[in-house]
Amino acid sequence: MGGIDKLTEQIVKRFRDSGFDVDAKEISKRLNLLIYEFKVPESEAVRTVTNYLMKELDIDREQLAAESPLVRIADVTTPGKWVSLKAKVIQLWDATSPNISQVGLIGDETGIIKFVTWAKAEKEEVKEGKSYLFKNVVTDSFGGRMQVNVNRNSQIVEIEEDVQLPPRELEVVGALIAIQQNSGLIRRCKLCNRTMTKDICPLHGKTEGYDDLRIKGIIDDGKNFYEVILNEDNIRELTGIGLKEARKIAEEKLERSAVLAELKNRLLGRYFRVAGMRGERYLIVREVEFLKQDIRQIAGELL
Amino acid sequence: MNGRKREVARRLFAYEFNRSAHKIESAEERSPTYILTPTGVRCNRVFVVGVLLDREETKPDTNFWRIRLSDPTGVFTGYVGRFQPDALETLLEVEPPELIAVVAKVRHFEGETRSFVSLRPENIAVVDSDVRDYWVYETARLTLERIKAMESKEEEDVLLAWQVYNPDLEEYRSVVKQALQTVIEGAVEVRGEKEEDKEEKWEEEEEKQLEEEFEFEEEEWDLSDILGE
Ligand SMILES: [Zn+2]
Repeated sequence: MGGIDKLTEQIVKRFRDSGFDVDAKEISKRLNLLIYEFKVPESEAVRTVTNYLMKELDIDREQLAAESPLVRIADVTTPGKWVSLKAKVIQLWDATSPNISQVGLIGDETGIIKFVTWAKAEKEEVKEGKSYLFKNVVTDSFGGRMQVNVNRNSQIVEIEEDVQLPPRELEVVGALIAIQQNSGLIRRCKLCNRTMTKDICPLHGKTEGYDDLRIKGIIDDGKNFYEVILNEDNIRELTGIGLKEARKIAEEKLERSAVLAELKNRLLGRYFRVAGMRGERYLIVREVEFLKQDIRQIAGELL
Repeated sequence: MNGRKREVARRLFAYEFNRSAHKIESAEERSPTYILTPTGVRCNRVFVVGVLLDREETKPDTNFWRIRLSDPTGVFTGYVGRFQPDALETLLEVEPPELIAVVAKVRHFEGETRSFVSLRPENIAVVDSDVRDYWVYETARLTLERIKAMESKEEEDVLLAWQVYNPDLEEYRSVVKQALQTVIEGAVEVRGEKEEDKEEKWEEEEEKQLEEEFEFEEEEWDLSDILGE
Protein backbone atom coordinates (compact mmCIF):
# COMPACT_ATOMS: atom_id res chain seq x y z
CA MET A 1 0.00 0.00 0.00
CA GLY A 2 2.94 2.31 0.61
CA GLY A 3 3.54 2.45 -3.12
CA ILE A 4 -0.03 3.46 -3.88
CA ASP A 5 0.06 6.22 -1.27
CA LYS A 6 3.18 7.68 -2.80
CA LEU A 7 1.84 7.55 -6.33
CA THR A 8 -1.42 9.10 -5.17
CA GLU A 9 0.42 11.90 -3.47
CA GLN A 10 2.44 12.48 -6.59
CA ILE A 11 -0.65 12.81 -8.77
CA VAL A 12 -2.46 15.01 -6.24
CA LYS A 13 0.55 17.27 -6.05
CA ARG A 14 0.87 17.54 -9.79
CA PHE A 15 -2.75 18.71 -10.06
CA ARG A 16 -2.57 20.92 -6.98
CA ASP A 17 0.52 22.65 -8.36
CA SER A 18 -1.51 23.51 -11.42
CA GLY A 19 -4.37 24.81 -9.32
CA PHE A 20 -6.71 21.85 -9.45
CA ASP A 21 -8.19 19.99 -6.53
CA VAL A 22 -8.56 16.29 -6.96
CA ASP A 23 -9.91 13.52 -4.72
CA ALA A 24 -7.01 11.56 -3.29
CA LYS A 25 -9.30 8.69 -2.25
CA GLU A 26 -10.63 8.30 -5.75
CA ILE A 27 -7.10 8.34 -7.19
CA SER A 28 -5.91 5.77 -4.72
CA LYS A 29 -8.88 3.52 -5.52
CA ARG A 30 -8.21 3.70 -9.24
CA LEU A 31 -4.49 3.11 -8.85
CA ASN A 32 -5.19 0.13 -6.65
CA LEU A 33 -7.51 -1.35 -9.19
CA LEU A 34 -5.08 -0.88 -12.05
CA ILE A 35 -1.98 -2.00 -10.24
CA TYR A 36 -3.23 -4.83 -8.05
CA GLU A 37 -6.28 -6.07 -9.92
CA PHE A 38 -5.17 -5.58 -13.47
CA LYS A 39 -1.40 -5.78 -12.89
CA VAL A 40 -0.75 -2.66 -14.92
CA PRO A 41 2.78 -1.28 -14.52
CA GLU A 42 2.93 1.62 -12.08
CA SER A 43 3.98 4.25 -14.59
CA GLU A 44 1.19 3.22 -16.93
CA ALA A 45 -1.34 3.30 -14.10
CA VAL A 46 -0.25 6.82 -13.15
CA ARG A 47 -0.60 7.92 -16.74
CA THR A 48 -4.06 6.38 -17.06
CA VAL A 49 -5.35 7.98 -13.87
CA THR A 50 -3.84 11.32 -14.82
CA ASN A 51 -5.53 11.18 -18.21
CA TYR A 52 -8.82 10.27 -16.56
CA LEU A 53 -8.56 13.25 -14.21
CA MET A 54 -7.71 15.60 -17.03
CA LYS A 55 -10.79 14.46 -18.89
CA GLU A 56 -12.95 14.87 -15.77
CA LEU A 57 -11.63 18.37 -15.15
CA ASP A 58 -11.75 19.13 -18.83
CA ILE A 59 -8.19 20.38 -18.94
CA ASP A 60 -5.38 19.54 -21.33
CA ARG A 61 -1.81 18.68 -20.73
CA GLU A 62 -0.56 22.25 -21.12
CA GLN A 63 -2.64 23.38 -18.18
CA LEU A 64 -1.18 20.71 -16.00
CA ALA A 65 2.14 21.40 -14.36
CA ALA A 66 4.02 19.42 -16.93
CA GLU A 67 7.43 20.24 -15.62
CA SER A 68 8.65 17.72 -13.15
CA PRO A 69 11.34 19.23 -10.97
CA LEU A 70 14.75 19.49 -12.57
CA VAL A 71 17.04 17.34 -10.47
CA ARG A 72 20.64 16.19 -10.52
CA ILE A 73 21.42 12.55 -11.10
CA ALA A 74 22.94 12.17 -7.64
CA ASP A 75 19.56 13.15 -6.20
CA VAL A 76 17.74 10.33 -7.93
CA THR A 77 17.46 7.98 -5.00
CA THR A 78 13.85 6.82 -4.78
CA PRO A 79 11.79 5.03 -7.38
CA GLY A 80 8.44 6.20 -8.70
CA LYS A 81 9.18 9.92 -8.96
CA TRP A 82 8.61 12.15 -11.96
CA VAL A 83 11.73 14.18 -12.60
CA SER A 84 13.51 16.10 -15.32
CA LEU A 85 17.24 15.76 -15.96
CA LYS A 86 19.78 17.60 -18.02
CA ALA A 87 22.23 14.95 -19.08
CA LYS A 88 24.64 13.77 -21.71
CA VAL A 89 24.30 10.38 -23.37
CA ILE A 90 27.44 8.46 -22.48
CA GLN A 91 26.87 5.02 -23.86
CA LEU A 92 24.09 3.26 -25.71
CA TRP A 93 23.57 -0.44 -25.25
CA ASP A 94 21.67 -2.98 -27.23
CA ALA A 95 18.04 -3.19 -26.30
CA THR A 96 16.95 -6.56 -24.98
CA SER A 97 13.45 -6.60 -26.16
CA PRO A 98 11.29 -5.05 -28.83
CA ASN A 99 9.53 -3.17 -26.01
CA ILE A 100 12.64 -1.11 -25.46
CA SER A 101 13.65 1.47 -27.99
CA GLN A 102 16.88 2.60 -26.35
CA VAL A 103 18.86 1.78 -23.25
CA GLY A 104 22.16 3.08 -21.99
CA LEU A 105 23.83 5.49 -19.64
CA ILE A 106 23.39 9.21 -19.24
CA GLY A 107 25.36 11.46 -16.94
CA ASP A 108 25.67 14.91 -15.46
CA GLU A 109 28.24 16.47 -13.15
CA THR A 110 26.92 14.54 -10.19
CA GLY A 111 26.72 11.04 -11.54
CA ILE A 112 25.75 8.48 -14.12
CA ILE A 113 22.47 6.64 -14.40
CA LYS A 114 20.89 4.07 -16.65
CA PHE A 115 18.00 5.16 -18.83
CA VAL A 116 15.42 3.16 -20.71
CA THR A 117 13.21 4.52 -23.45
CA TRP A 118 10.19 2.34 -24.01
CA ALA A 119 9.29 1.65 -27.60
CA LYS A 120 5.72 2.69 -26.81
CA ALA A 121 6.99 6.14 -25.85
CA GLU A 122 7.69 6.73 -29.53
CA LYS A 123 10.54 9.11 -28.90
CA GLU A 124 13.28 10.10 -31.31
CA GLU A 125 16.47 8.25 -30.60
CA VAL A 126 19.23 10.03 -28.69
CA LYS A 127 22.85 9.95 -29.80
CA GLU A 128 26.00 9.21 -27.84
CA GLY A 129 27.93 12.33 -26.85
CA LYS A 130 24.94 14.71 -27.17
CA SER A 131 23.24 16.48 -24.31
CA TYR A 132 19.51 16.52 -23.75
CA LEU A 133 16.83 17.70 -21.39
CA PHE A 134 14.97 14.59 -20.30
CA LYS A 135 11.62 16.00 -19.23
CA ASN A 136 9.14 14.09 -17.11
CA VAL A 137 10.94 10.83 -16.83
CA VAL A 138 10.09 8.37 -14.10
CA THR A 139 12.64 7.09 -11.63
CA ASP A 140 12.69 3.37 -11.11
CA SER A 141 14.85 0.78 -9.49
CA PHE A 142 16.09 -2.37 -11.17
CA GLY A 143 18.17 -4.98 -9.39
CA GLY A 144 18.72 -2.57 -6.53
CA ARG A 145 19.98 0.28 -8.70
CA MET A 146 18.27 3.43 -9.84
CA GLN A 147 17.36 4.14 -13.42
CA VAL A 148 15.06 6.52 -15.26
CA ASN A 149 12.36 5.48 -17.70
CA VAL A 150 11.30 7.55 -20.67
CA ASN A 151 7.60 7.02 -21.34
CA ARG A 152 4.90 8.56 -23.47
CA ASN A 153 4.52 11.55 -21.18
CA SER A 154 8.23 12.28 -21.29
CA GLN A 155 9.97 14.61 -23.63
CA ILE A 156 13.54 14.52 -24.83
CA VAL A 157 14.86 17.84 -26.09
CA GLU A 158 18.36 18.23 -27.44
CA ILE A 159 20.16 21.18 -25.84
CA GLU A 160 23.08 23.34 -26.89
CA GLU A 161 24.79 23.05 -23.53
CA ASP A 162 27.50 20.40 -23.30
CA VAL A 163 26.62 18.76 -20.01
CA GLN A 164 29.74 17.97 -18.00
CA LEU A 165 30.24 14.49 -16.62
CA PRO A 166 31.51 13.59 -13.15
CA PRO A 167 34.89 15.27 -12.87
CA ARG A 168 36.70 12.50 -11.13
CA GLU A 169 37.88 9.61 -13.15
CA LEU A 170 38.32 6.27 -11.59
CA GLU A 171 41.29 4.04 -12.06
CA VAL A 172 40.92 0.41 -11.20
CA VAL A 173 43.49 -2.34 -11.03
CA GLY A 174 41.74 -5.65 -11.09
CA ALA A 175 41.48 -9.04 -12.71
CA LEU A 176 39.21 -9.78 -15.63
CA ILE A 177 37.33 -12.62 -13.98
CA ALA A 178 34.51 -13.17 -16.45
CA ILE A 179 33.79 -12.62 -20.11
CA GLN A 180 30.23 -12.85 -21.19
CA GLN A 181 29.25 -15.31 -23.88
CA ASN A 182 27.96 -12.75 -26.36
CA SER A 183 31.40 -11.22 -26.67
CA GLY A 184 33.92 -11.63 -29.46
CA LEU A 185 33.10 -11.28 -33.13
CA ILE A 186 29.51 -10.12 -33.16
CA ARG A 187 27.14 -8.86 -35.80
CA ARG A 188 25.20 -5.63 -35.61
CA CYS A 189 22.17 -4.39 -37.51
CA LYS A 190 23.03 -1.87 -40.22
CA LEU A 191 19.88 0.10 -39.48
CA CYS A 192 20.12 0.48 -35.70
CA ASN A 193 23.49 -0.96 -34.57
CA ARG A 194 21.82 -3.41 -32.23
CA THR A 195 23.49 -6.78 -31.78
CA MET A 196 21.96 -9.45 -33.93
CA THR A 197 21.43 -13.07 -33.01
CA LYS A 198 21.80 -15.37 -36.00
CA ASP A 199 21.48 -12.40 -38.36
CA ILE A 200 18.23 -11.31 -36.77
CA CYS A 201 17.89 -7.83 -35.28
CA PRO A 202 15.54 -7.68 -32.29
CA LEU A 203 13.92 -4.62 -33.87
CA HIS A 204 14.25 -5.07 -37.63
CA GLY A 205 14.18 -8.83 -37.92
CA LYS A 206 16.15 -10.43 -40.72
CA THR A 207 18.18 -7.65 -42.22
CA GLU A 208 21.67 -6.71 -43.27
CA GLY A 209 24.35 -6.61 -40.63
CA TYR A 210 28.00 -5.80 -40.14
CA ASP A 211 30.81 -7.26 -38.00
CA ASP A 212 32.00 -5.76 -34.75
CA LEU A 213 34.33 -6.83 -31.98
CA ARG A 214 33.58 -6.35 -28.31
CA ILE A 215 34.04 -7.85 -24.88
CA LYS A 216 31.59 -7.56 -22.06
CA GLY A 217 33.30 -8.56 -18.89
CA ILE A 218 33.87 -8.09 -15.22
CA ILE A 219 36.90 -6.49 -13.63
CA ASP A 220 37.17 -7.45 -9.97
CA ASP A 221 39.68 -6.02 -7.51
CA GLY A 222 38.76 -8.19 -4.54
CA LYS A 223 36.57 -5.52 -2.97
CA ASN A 224 34.40 -4.35 -5.85
CA PHE A 225 33.57 -5.42 -9.33
CA TYR A 226 32.95 -3.31 -12.37
CA GLU A 227 31.14 -4.24 -15.51
CA VAL A 228 33.09 -3.13 -18.52
CA ILE A 229 32.65 -3.11 -22.25
CA LEU A 230 35.80 -3.20 -24.34
CA ASN A 231 35.42 -2.05 -27.93
CA GLU A 232 37.41 -2.99 -31.00
CA ASP A 233 40.12 -0.39 -30.32
CA ASN A 234 40.59 -1.58 -26.74
CA ILE A 235 40.77 -5.19 -27.84
CA ARG A 236 43.21 -4.48 -30.66
CA GLU A 237 45.52 -2.57 -28.35
CA LEU A 238 45.52 -5.39 -25.82
CA THR A 239 45.75 -8.40 -28.09
CA GLY A 240 46.67 -7.26 -31.56
CA ILE A 241 43.39 -8.75 -32.70
CA GLY A 242 41.26 -6.24 -34.53
CA LEU A 243 38.30 -6.85 -36.79
CA LYS A 244 40.48 -7.97 -39.67
CA GLU A 245 42.41 -10.46 -37.55
CA ALA A 246 39.20 -11.65 -35.90
CA ARG A 247 37.61 -12.39 -39.25
CA LYS A 248 40.71 -14.33 -40.24
CA ILE A 249 40.53 -16.44 -37.09
CA ALA A 250 36.87 -17.13 -37.74
CA GLU A 251 37.61 -18.17 -41.32
CA GLU A 252 40.50 -20.42 -40.40
CA LYS A 253 38.61 -22.19 -37.62
CA LEU A 254 35.39 -22.15 -39.57
CA GLU A 255 33.47 -20.67 -36.69
CA ARG A 256 33.02 -17.20 -35.29
CA SER A 257 33.11 -18.45 -31.71
CA ALA A 258 36.80 -19.25 -32.19
CA VAL A 259 37.43 -15.52 -31.80
CA LEU A 260 35.86 -15.48 -28.36
CA ALA A 261 37.87 -18.55 -27.35
CA GLU A 262 41.08 -16.85 -28.46
CA LEU A 263 40.24 -13.62 -26.61
CA LYS A 264 39.44 -15.57 -23.47
CA ASN A 265 42.79 -17.35 -23.73
CA ARG A 266 44.60 -14.06 -23.85
CA LEU A 267 42.63 -11.93 -21.42
CA LEU A 268 40.77 -13.98 -18.83
CA GLY A 269 42.37 -14.14 -15.40
CA ARG A 270 44.82 -11.33 -16.19
CA TYR A 271 45.23 -8.08 -14.31
CA PHE A 272 44.44 -4.78 -15.96
CA ARG A 273 44.65 -1.12 -15.22
CA VAL A 274 41.43 0.45 -16.38
CA ALA A 275 40.77 4.18 -16.41
CA GLY A 276 37.36 5.57 -17.04
CA MET A 277 34.24 6.99 -15.63
CA ARG A 278 32.37 5.26 -12.97
CA GLY A 279 28.68 4.53 -13.00
CA GLU A 280 26.98 2.80 -10.16
CA ARG A 281 28.38 -0.51 -11.27
CA TYR A 282 29.72 0.20 -14.68
CA LEU A 283 33.11 1.48 -15.57
CA ILE A 284 33.04 3.36 -18.84
CA VAL A 285 36.41 2.42 -20.25
CA ARG A 286 38.60 5.19 -21.60
CA GLU A 287 41.89 3.34 -21.36
CA VAL A 288 42.76 -0.21 -20.58
CA GLU A 289 46.15 -1.90 -20.42
CA PHE A 290 47.72 -5.00 -19.00
CA LEU A 291 49.04 -4.27 -15.52
CA LYS A 292 52.75 -3.67 -15.43
CA GLN A 293 54.09 -3.41 -11.95
CA ASP A 294 57.38 -3.74 -10.16
CA ILE A 295 56.15 -6.42 -7.80
CA ARG A 296 59.32 -6.68 -5.75
CA GLN A 297 59.14 -3.05 -4.86
CA ILE A 298 55.48 -2.90 -3.89
CA ALA A 299 55.72 -6.23 -2.11
CA GLY A 300 58.70 -4.91 -0.18
CA GLU A 301 56.72 -1.87 0.88
CA LEU A 302 54.11 -4.14 2.44
CA LEU A 303 56.64 -5.96 4.59
CA MET B 1 14.94 -11.09 -14.83
CA ASN B 2 15.72 -9.35 -11.59
CA GLY B 3 18.67 -11.50 -10.57
CA ARG B 4 20.68 -11.50 -7.45
CA LYS B 5 23.47 -9.06 -6.99
CA ARG B 6 26.79 -10.38 -8.16
CA GLU B 7 29.30 -11.46 -5.53
CA VAL B 8 32.79 -10.00 -5.39
CA ALA B 9 35.65 -12.47 -5.88
CA ARG B 10 37.58 -12.34 -2.60
CA ARG B 11 41.31 -12.86 -2.29
CA LEU B 12 42.67 -15.12 0.37
CA PHE B 13 45.55 -17.48 0.74
CA ALA B 14 45.03 -21.24 0.94
CA TYR B 15 46.19 -21.14 4.55
CA GLU B 16 43.26 -18.95 5.53
CA PHE B 17 40.81 -20.56 3.13
CA ASN B 18 41.38 -24.03 4.55
CA ARG B 19 40.70 -22.70 8.04
CA SER B 20 37.40 -21.13 7.06
CA ALA B 21 34.97 -23.49 8.68
CA HIS B 22 32.06 -21.22 9.44
CA LYS B 23 29.16 -21.06 7.05
CA ILE B 24 26.78 -18.13 6.87
CA GLU B 25 23.38 -18.90 5.49
CA SER B 26 20.44 -16.62 5.25
CA ALA B 27 16.92 -17.85 5.89
CA GLU B 28 15.78 -16.08 2.75
CA GLU B 29 15.20 -18.32 -0.19
CA ARG B 30 17.79 -18.30 -2.93
CA SER B 31 20.07 -16.00 -1.04
CA PRO B 32 23.76 -16.80 -1.37
CA THR B 33 25.71 -18.77 1.20
CA TYR B 34 29.08 -17.60 2.38
CA ILE B 35 31.96 -18.86 4.37
CA LEU B 36 33.30 -16.55 7.00
CA THR B 37 37.09 -16.51 7.04
CA PRO B 38 39.21 -16.20 10.20
CA THR B 39 40.07 -12.59 9.25
CA GLY B 40 36.42 -11.71 9.05
CA VAL B 41 35.42 -11.52 5.40
CA ARG B 42 32.40 -13.35 4.12
CA CYS B 43 33.05 -14.94 0.83
CA ASN B 44 31.00 -16.65 -1.81
CA ARG B 45 33.42 -16.37 -4.71
CA VAL B 46 37.21 -16.25 -4.86
CA PHE B 47 39.90 -15.46 -7.38
CA VAL B 48 43.02 -17.60 -6.95
CA VAL B 49 46.26 -17.82 -8.90
CA GLY B 50 48.49 -20.76 -8.19
CA VAL B 51 50.09 -23.92 -9.43
CA LEU B 52 47.81 -26.68 -10.60
CA LEU B 53 49.55 -29.61 -8.93
CA ASP B 54 47.34 -32.30 -10.29
CA ARG B 55 43.95 -33.11 -11.68
CA GLU B 56 42.41 -36.45 -11.06
CA GLU B 57 39.13 -37.97 -12.05
CA THR B 58 37.30 -38.78 -8.83
CA LYS B 59 36.14 -42.05 -10.37
CA PRO B 60 37.01 -43.39 -13.80
CA ASP B 61 34.90 -42.03 -16.67
CA THR B 62 32.85 -39.62 -14.61
CA ASN B 63 34.48 -36.55 -16.14
CA PHE B 64 34.37 -35.17 -12.64
CA TRP B 65 37.76 -33.89 -11.60
CA ARG B 66 39.45 -33.10 -8.33
CA ILE B 67 42.13 -30.48 -8.64
CA ARG B 68 44.80 -29.35 -6.22
CA LEU B 69 46.01 -25.81 -6.55
CA SER B 70 48.92 -24.49 -4.57
CA ASP B 71 49.82 -20.98 -3.49
CA PRO B 72 52.85 -20.11 -1.30
CA THR B 73 50.89 -20.91 1.86
CA GLY B 74 49.04 -24.12 1.15
CA VAL B 75 46.83 -26.07 -1.20
CA PHE B 76 43.27 -25.45 -2.37
CA THR B 77 41.10 -28.38 -3.36
CA GLY B 78 38.59 -27.90 -6.11
CA TYR B 79 36.10 -29.90 -8.14
CA VAL B 80 35.27 -29.39 -11.79
CA GLY B 81 32.51 -31.18 -13.61
CA ARG B 82 30.26 -30.83 -16.56
CA PHE B 83 28.23 -28.11 -14.91
CA GLN B 84 31.19 -25.79 -15.28
CA PRO B 85 31.78 -26.34 -19.01
CA ASP B 86 34.15 -23.40 -19.52
CA ALA B 87 36.35 -24.37 -16.60
CA LEU B 88 36.26 -28.03 -17.60
CA GLU B 89 37.31 -27.31 -21.16
CA THR B 90 40.36 -25.36 -20.07
CA LEU B 91 41.23 -27.81 -17.32
CA LEU B 92 41.40 -30.70 -19.75
CA GLU B 93 43.81 -28.77 -21.95
CA VAL B 94 46.23 -28.07 -19.11
CA GLU B 95 49.10 -30.39 -18.24
CA PRO B 96 50.03 -29.98 -14.56
CA PRO B 97 52.12 -28.56 -13.08
CA GLU B 98 51.01 -25.29 -14.60
CA LEU B 99 50.23 -21.81 -13.33
CA ILE B 100 46.53 -21.10 -13.55
CA ALA B 101 44.11 -18.41 -12.50
CA VAL B 102 40.81 -19.68 -11.16
CA VAL B 103 37.55 -17.87 -10.53
CA ALA B 104 35.52 -20.10 -8.27
CA LYS B 105 32.48 -20.36 -6.11
CA VAL B 106 33.20 -21.48 -2.60
CA ARG B 107 31.66 -24.67 -1.37
CA HIS B 108 31.31 -25.65 2.23
CA PHE B 109 30.74 -29.21 3.27
CA GLU B 110 29.84 -30.31 6.74
CA GLY B 111 31.36 -33.71 7.38
CA GLU B 112 30.78 -35.88 10.40
CA THR B 113 33.92 -34.84 12.18
CA ARG B 114 34.84 -31.58 10.55
CA SER B 115 33.86 -29.19 7.84
CA PHE B 116 35.65 -28.83 4.59
CA VAL B 117 35.83 -26.02 2.05
CA SER B 118 36.56 -26.41 -1.61
CA LEU B 119 36.50 -24.49 -4.86
CA ARG B 120 34.06 -24.92 -7.66
CA PRO B 121 35.74 -23.17 -10.57
CA GLU B 122 33.68 -21.10 -13.01
CA ASN B 123 36.64 -20.06 -15.13
CA ILE B 124 40.18 -21.32 -15.45
CA ALA B 125 42.93 -19.62 -17.42
CA VAL B 126 46.59 -20.44 -17.92
CA VAL B 127 48.65 -17.44 -16.81
CA ASP B 128 52.27 -16.43 -16.38
CA SER B 129 54.27 -15.77 -13.24
CA ASP B 130 53.65 -11.99 -13.37
CA VAL B 131 49.98 -12.65 -12.79
CA ARG B 132 50.80 -15.02 -9.95
CA ASP B 133 53.17 -12.51 -8.35
CA TYR B 134 50.61 -9.75 -8.49
CA TRP B 135 47.99 -12.06 -7.02
CA VAL B 136 50.27 -12.86 -4.09
CA TYR B 137 50.92 -9.17 -3.54
CA GLU B 138 47.23 -8.25 -3.84
CA THR B 139 46.13 -11.08 -1.58
CA ALA B 140 48.77 -10.10 0.97
CA ARG B 141 47.62 -6.47 0.90
CA LEU B 142 43.94 -7.35 1.27
CA THR B 143 44.67 -9.86 4.03
CA LEU B 144 46.67 -7.25 5.95
CA GLU B 145 43.76 -4.84 5.56
CA ARG B 146 41.44 -7.43 7.02
CA ILE B 147 43.82 -8.09 9.90
CA LYS B 148 43.72 -4.35 10.66
CA ALA B 149 39.94 -4.39 10.60
CA MET B 150 40.03 -7.36 12.99
CA GLU B 151 42.11 -5.29 15.37
CA SER B 152 39.65 -2.43 15.38
CA LYS B 153 36.75 -4.80 16.13
CA GLU B 154 33.99 -2.72 14.58
CA GLU B 155 32.30 -4.46 11.71
CA GLU B 156 29.71 -7.11 12.29
CA ASP B 157 31.53 -9.87 10.42
CA VAL B 158 34.74 -9.03 12.23
CA LEU B 159 33.04 -9.47 15.57
CA LEU B 160 31.58 -12.74 14.38
CA ALA B 161 35.02 -13.93 13.26
CA TRP B 162 36.40 -13.17 16.71
CA GLN B 163 33.59 -15.12 18.27
CA VAL B 164 33.88 -18.11 15.93
CA TYR B 165 37.67 -18.37 15.51
CA ASN B 166 39.32 -16.16 18.09
CA PRO B 167 42.25 -16.10 15.67
CA ASP B 168 45.88 -15.48 16.45
CA LEU B 169 46.38 -12.51 14.14
CA GLU B 170 50.16 -12.81 14.38
CA GLU B 171 49.91 -16.24 12.79
CA TYR B 172 48.07 -14.78 9.78
CA ARG B 173 50.43 -11.83 9.60
CA SER B 174 53.41 -14.14 9.45
CA VAL B 175 51.81 -16.27 6.72
CA VAL B 176 51.32 -13.12 4.68
CA LYS B 177 54.93 -12.13 5.20
CA GLN B 178 56.22 -15.50 4.13
CA ALA B 179 54.11 -15.32 1.00
CA LEU B 180 55.47 -11.86 0.19
CA GLN B 181 59.01 -13.10 0.73
CA THR B 182 58.58 -15.77 -1.92
CA VAL B 183 57.65 -13.08 -4.42
CA ILE B 184 60.51 -10.82 -3.44
CA GLU B 185 63.00 -13.63 -3.61
CA GLY B 186 61.60 -14.65 -6.94
CA ALA B 187 60.92 -18.23 -6.04
CA VAL B 188 57.59 -19.49 -4.89
CA GLU B 189 58.11 -22.70 -3.09
CA VAL B 190 55.25 -25.05 -2.64
CA ARG B 191 54.67 -26.05 0.92
CA GLY B 192 52.46 -28.90 1.80
CA GLU B 193 50.30 -28.60 4.85
CA LYS B 194 50.81 -31.57 7.07
CA GLU B 195 47.61 -31.31 9.00
CA GLU B 196 45.67 -31.11 5.76
CA ASP B 197 46.58 -34.67 4.82
CA LYS B 198 43.50 -36.01 3.26
CA GLU B 199 41.04 -37.95 5.28
CA GLU B 200 39.69 -40.21 2.62
CA LYS B 201 36.42 -40.66 4.38
CA TRP B 202 35.07 -37.16 4.29
CA GLU B 203 36.50 -36.56 0.90
CA GLU B 204 34.55 -39.44 -0.56
CA GLU B 205 31.44 -38.25 1.19
CA GLU B 206 31.88 -34.81 -0.23
CA GLU B 207 32.55 -36.05 -3.71
CA LYS B 208 29.51 -38.22 -3.74
CA GLN B 209 27.37 -35.28 -2.88
CA LEU B 210 29.05 -33.09 -5.43
CA GLU B 211 28.46 -35.50 -8.24
CA GLU B 212 24.79 -35.61 -7.48
CA GLU B 213 24.64 -31.93 -7.32
CA PHE B 214 22.65 -30.33 -10.05
CA GLU B 215 22.68 -26.92 -8.69
CA PHE B 216 23.08 -23.94 -10.90
CA GLU B 217 23.41 -20.68 -9.15
CA GLU B 218 21.87 -17.82 -10.97
CA GLU B 219 23.43 -14.56 -10.41
CA GLU B 220 22.78 -11.33 -12.03
CA TRP B 221 24.79 -10.32 -15.00
CA ASP B 222 23.56 -6.84 -15.21
CA LEU B 223 24.71 -6.20 -18.74
CA SER B 224 23.23 -9.42 -19.95
CA ASP B 225 19.95 -8.60 -18.31
CA ILE B 226 19.89 -5.37 -20.12
CA LEU B 227 21.45 -6.45 -23.32
CA GLY B 228 20.01 -9.92 -23.36
CA GLU B 229 20.41 -11.13 -26.88
ZN1 LIG C 1 17.97 -3.15 -36.27
